[in-house]
Amino acid sequence: MQMAIVKMSKFNLLVFNSDRENLLHELQKFNYVHFLDLKEDESLEDYDLNIVEVPESIVAVDEKIAKVRSAINTLSKYQKKETGLKAMQEGGETIEFTELEAKASKIDYETICGQVLELNSKMDELGQEIAKTNAEISELNPWVKLETPIKDLELFKQVEALLGTIPKKLRQNVENDLSTTEYTYFEVLSEDKDNLNVLLLIHRDELEKVRDILRSYSFSNTKINIEGDIATEIAKFEEEINQLKEMIFQNKGRLENLTEELSSLQIVYEYLMNVKLKLSASENFLKTDNINVIEGYIPTDMREEFTQVVKDSLNNLYYLELEEADKDDENVPILLKNSKFSRSFQSITQMYALPNYNEIDPTPLLAPFYSFFFGMMVADLGYGLLLFMATAFVLRVFNLTEEQKDTIRFFYYHSIFTILWGLIYGSFFSFTLPIQILDSATQYNQVLIISIVFGIIHIYFGLGVNGYMSLRDGRPLDALFDVGFWYMALTGGIILLLSAATSLIPEGVATVSKYVMIVGMVGIVLTGGRSSSNIGGRLAGGLYELYGISSYVGDFVSYSRLMALGLSGGFIASAINDMVFMLFDLGIIGIIFGVIIFIIGQSFNLFLSLLSAYVHSIRLAYVEFFGKFYEGGGKAFKFLRSKPKYISIK
Amino acid sequence: MADFMLNYGGVVMGAFGAALAVLLSGIGSARGVGMVGESSTALMIEQPEKFGKSLVLQLLPGTQGLYGFVIALLALGQLTANMSLSQGMFIFMSCLPIAIGGWTSAVFQGRVAVSGVNLLAKNDEQATKGIIYAVMVETYALLAFVISLILLNAVSF
Repeated sequence: MQMAIVKMSKFNLLVFNSDRENLLHELQKFNYVHFLDLKEDESLEDYDLNIVEVPESIVAVDEKIAKVRSAINTLSKYQKKETGLKAMQEGGETIEFTELEAKASKIDYETICGQVLELNSKMDELGQEIAKTNAEISELNPWVKLETPIKDLELFKQVEALLGTIPKKLRQNVENDLSTTEYTYFEVLSEDKDNLNVLLLIHRDELEKVRDILRSYSFSNTKINIEGDIATEIAKFEEEINQLKEMIFQNKGRLENLTEELSSLQIVYEYLMNVKLKLSASENFLKTDNINVIEGYIPTDMREEFTQVVKDSLNNLYYLELEEADKDDENVPILLKNSKFSRSFQSITQMYALPNYNEIDPTPLLAPFYSFFFGMMVADLGYGLLLFMATAFVLRVFNLTEEQKDTIRFFYYHSIFTILWGLIYGSFFSFTLPIQILDSATQYNQVLIISIVFGIIHIYFGLGVNGYMSLRDGRPLDALFDVGFWYMALTGGIILLLSAATSLIPEGVATVSKYVMIVGMVGIVLTGGRSSSNIGGRLAGGLYELYGISSYVGDFVSYSRLMALGLSGGFIASAINDMVFMLFDLGIIGIIFGVIIFIIGQSFNLFLSLLSAYVHSIRLAYVEFFGKFYEGGGKAFKFLRSKPKYISIK
Repeated sequence: MADFMLNYGGVVMGAFGAALAVLLSGIGSARGVGMVGESSTALMIEQPEKFGKSLVLQLLPGTQGLYGFVIALLALGQLTANMSLSQGMFIFMSCLPIAIGGWTSAVFQGRVAVSGVNLLAKNDEQATKGIIYAVMVETYALLAFVISLILLNAVSF
């Protein structure tokens, strides 16, 4: 079981231009290759090398990817979903990477995508068509009372027929004025919010007079561009809409049938993404007219496999140099390898920064503390059991990817510490258990002291790691200066404070620790500024370093959150319980509401406690712990396979 | 008036302290949660899939109100009708750290969380860092909470 940063070897590879494709193809199966971007390597600038460029092929692949992606998105809208639980149980399909190409090449994805995209744009068109027809119908609807065909209105000899709208509020005035005419017929066919839709039959003799009246009441003439009668026309449009809907229904059916091809398209998508990655990988290389220059890193324990792959794919026409990566080379990519327990905490390390190649992987160091603190901040047997059962159930029943499993396991481990601390505090959903080692509600002063003691242990451990790294790198003096003196100053100071505050410390011990502290502090002042070149700078640096003792005080106090979060979560839960008991006294309805409030309130508090514990443990890890020894800033190892999106690939 | 203060001043001041602990920290939390809620709502227009993370960001400034609530409950537990004025004043003072510390830290935490929502909108993968920045502010609310708690039980009358 390895727990650390994976050892890397650097390789230099020269191959013929023509072999590049084949090499990359084989290396992608191997996957564990990280290429250095040689464009950025200044030492190669003088050799008159060109950049390998493959833009056209990348653009072509990108276009294909865009097409497949939009087909997948379209089809997944029409897919009949399995229920969440069942889908999770079955999980995604798993295929071997080596099969991916063969499988993808058998799938006629161009045709499928063509069909899907065509059907999809057809659907859009049909939708627009329906909207247009609906608009026509709503234009005709106001005139539906007019039973005569429109063209017949023009056949009158003595009379002129007019259709139009008049503002509603002028109705009375218009009717009054028109009643002065002799041969004019006025009818309101329908009305909407503001206007009346009216029909007028006017004798030609009165035409001028009526027009004047109408003009003064803002009549506006309506032209209807059909010939037959309106009801029939509307029926025709409705028939059209029905046909369009039928077509949409058919197209939808076709799309639903095509969802069978969804998994094939997903395979093609993964394949194309890998092709793209392979193509863009070659942009890291440099070339002369015939030769490609390739540099990069592989895990040291895979050297033989790598050499074999290179040999097989290049027919022995190549030049390969392999050497252990230099410890201080900052280009070395970082790959972490940890035990099952620590691995689930890798995301925490990654979020801060990957380690440099000459550092150590802090994940296994932070993991036990993190989980322990997490448990102390939630600290409830009931919450712990719930979390334990939920995560164990998910791990057992669902088919998850390794990454998802790590995330679930992360909380699975915390649940154990939460149960442990729940037992110590004797708290079950904030009800007091018969056995209680520490009552956090009354003995919080003790809990506070314990929290700070844990903080001291945590910080001492972090300092110890710092010292270990100095010793490992053959700098024992640095270990003494940066860690040893601090141990002395802090330990001496703490014991001295204790002896002043309590009578627990014998006088002799107090005196000794006073001198230990002074030696430590003087040591810090003398050595803290040793990187500076002049005496003044050294002394100032040393004093500044000693001033850092104030930040240690801050660090220790910061651990009071271990007590505070556990306590506030507990108090909120017991406030919920009190409310529930008050409701229970109100009879049957009170009991029903009580149960509901208990479930909702406790779930909310559980969620909040988990969230707080998660982020505050992170803070303790990043600020108080990492601050003592960890720098970070390494680059992640870039694999030669793309991370699958839809299916799992082995 | 002086008589009234002597007879009932203790319980009034104690209750006033408990009320302030809930009120001020609650005001701060409400403002903080509100600010983050507003900017998260805007985020939902284009990126509804980020609801979960934005909810976490929104909850962060909400905890101060809960700390104030806990302190108020503890203070309420100590109230008696005929407590002395000095005891009531002591409870009142004990409530001040979480009342004022909770109030201001919630508002500032809310502001950091709003920037966190911006980060979430533009770079999903780094959003957890926004959460951690916001948590840094909460440290001071926690310290205020611890001191209020210790004060409440430090002196027995």
